[in-house]
Amino acid sequence: MANQDSADIVIVGTGVVGCLIAEQMLDAGLSVLMLEAGPRVERWQIVENFRNLRPGQRLDFNAPFPPKPWAPHLEANTPAQAAEYLDLVGPNARAYRQDYVRYAGGSTWHWAGICWRLTPEDMQLKSRFGVGRDWAFGYDTLEPFYSRAEAALGVGGPSDPALQWPPIRSKPYPMGRLPFGPGEQKFTDAVARIGLTNLPAAQARNSGISYDGRPPCCGNNNCIPVCPIAAKYDAATALPKIEAKGGRILANAVVYRVETGTRNAIEAVHYFDPDKASHRVTGRLFVLACNGIETPKLLLLSKDERNPRGVANSSDQVGRNMMDQPKLVAELELAEPLWTGVGPVQGSSIMQTSQGDFRGRHGGALFRFNNMARSRIGGTAALKKGLVGKALDQEIRRLSACTAEIAIEHELLPDPNNRLTLSDKTDWLGLNRPRIYYDVGDYVRRSASEFTVPLVRRIAAELGATSTQVSTEFTNSDHIMGGTIMGLEPSASVVDVDCRAHDHANLFLPGGGAMTSGGSGNSTLTMAALALKAADAIASQLKVG
Amino acid sequence: MGACLLGGAVWPIDGAQSLPASAATDAAAPFLELSQLLIPHHLDGEIGRRLAAAMAATDPALANQIDALLAIARARGAKVVEDFFPDIPAGPLRERALAIISAWYTGVIDDTPGAEVIAFELALIYQPTRDVMTIPSYAISGPNGWTSEAPPLTEMPEF
Repeated sequence: MANQDSADIVIVGTGVVGCLIAEQMLDAGLSVLMLEAGPRVERWQIVENFRNLRPGQRLDFNAPFPPKPWAPHLEANTPAQAAEYLDLVGPNARAYRQDYVRYAGGSTWHWAGICWRLTPEDMQLKSRFGVGRDWAFGYDTLEPFYSRAEAALGVGGPSDPALQWPPIRSKPYPMGRLPFGPGEQKFTDAVARIGLTNLPAAQARNSGISYDGRPPCCGNNNCIPVCPIAAKYDAATALPKIEAKGGRILANAVVYRVETGTRNAIEAVHYFDPDKASHRVTGRLFVLACNGIETPKLLLLSKDERNPRGVANSSDQVGRNMMDQPKLVAELELAEPLWTGVGPVQGSSIMQTSQGDFRGRHGGALFRFNNMARSRIGGTAALKKGLVGKALDQEIRRLSACTAEIAIEHELLPDPNNRLTLSDKTDWLGLNRPRIYYDVGDYVRRSASEFTVPLVRRIAAELGATSTQVSTEFTNSDHIMGGTIMGLEPSASVVDVDCRAHDHANLFLPGGGAMTSGGSGNSTLTMAALALKAADAIASQLKVG
Repeated sequence: MGACLLGGAVWPIDGAQSLPASAATDAAAPFLELSQLLIPHHLDGEIGRRLAAAMAATDPALANQIDALLAIARARGAKVVEDFFPDIPAGPLRERALAIISAWYTGVIDDTPGAEVIAFELALIYQPTRDVMTIPSYAISGPNGWTSEAPPLTEMPEF
């Protein structure tokens, strides 16, 4: 049984990765202590926070999660506020303004629930296309963990292989697909006319049935920033289950140093409480699952005599290869209504555009019809026209129904120059803030200019758009990857095939940071699969040791 | 008080009758009366009182402007906003009329950092599409109970 000072397994971070590992470890009979930098709150509080956001802030997905002073994360109510935590530099600094949440449950509070897998090709960019890096193993190795992750999160998806991505599966989805609303169906029909398939997304949202103690999705259309009924998997629902199995969870515990000892094993982690008092926690094995920014930051903060570049960083790769899927957005106005806001906020994507021989020259991309209700956007635009009475109502209805947004999320290559370092600026506790240099690179820029922007204009024309505006500045997709990259060579990577640090046998760094490439799809299911792979390795290691 | 004549029918402002006859209630009455002339929908009395109080707190000219707008409406014998809105002179009075309409539709008197949200579910901005679009966080169907069908754009819901 864990106490608040020690456990077999000490897990830093309570997001999807930390929670999946905690449950596996408890099931294996090991004691678990989880340390969370931020507060622990109830779902209703987040729902209330959301409903009390002023209209202009309702697309700021971090806004219902006000950070505690000791656990800052990005806030973007104003541009000045957005610059207060993440110290972003480089040609595409704006595109790394990542919306992650330092709360118990992590960013699963406001993830969309989308569960794309990587394809075999996504994992072999170097050998197939001569760019990027290959993963240390192939899709066949990851596939069983994808299936387990889908069962653990409760993923609904289509049973027809023609609609699965990729259709290489050892098990069916635990649930069927969710239905489309009018907009997603019309988008699907339109892109089919130009030879594209809009796939129903695999999504961690209960489809028509209860699953794992959570209710079926009722189409509240608020997956981002919070599912009010817990139909979507979020780690907040996992925390009580972990406690019921004997796990301990300490909130408001900001781990700021990883302590090494003889043979460079990890001896302890140190955390500050909200009174700035420091505490030391020991364990047999440590898992850092703080997310793709906070984990490399913590490793760099922990440099010592044995590890002068930081813990786990003999390769100098910690904090390098920072990835995401740089996003462009097409805003459409149409002659006929499409309608959004029916069902989940995201429920489909075109994925075939992520694959192709072009990947030697430019990246692939995902195209997604965003299904978030556009009533606030349409209403605000109609009010700005100074209309009143029936004319106002008609214009609100028209602008809400006859406008749409298509997101384009681009594949990015791992680049060691896209690098997280420690800023000389510090936070409330005096800890260095993360500084990130970010350039999406020519691989992405060529993808946009030669491939995705021309294609989205074709799609818009097929939809009957009367106006199409494509953004020119890349923005964040919140899929933080690469900063503790996996590989077989300890000189060129941070973790091994089980997300174990090459430099420390009892330190695991599972999650997005380990991903060698990101493809074009959302990263969470791959993070979850890597967590389960790491969990198997940890259980095996501790039982043998 | 608490009701107004609109198109020959009396539309009560919800909750108005249950109010105590306080000074605050009296202060909100002209705001509610004007609101009902500016907006041809059922209006919630409690939301109206809170909007009136919030708007009055930021601008002492509010009461005089409401009186002036009501005078224009009465002079035209207005029953709906289209009857008198064109006669409101451009400038502060017209801006005030639009601000009152905007407050009812958006649920805030001012969409800037720190603004207090007075209405969300009942904010009128969500109502012209309420037959199709979910008001975020409030489900309108059930488990997998939605479809790809939608009524015509011309079928405005009643609200």
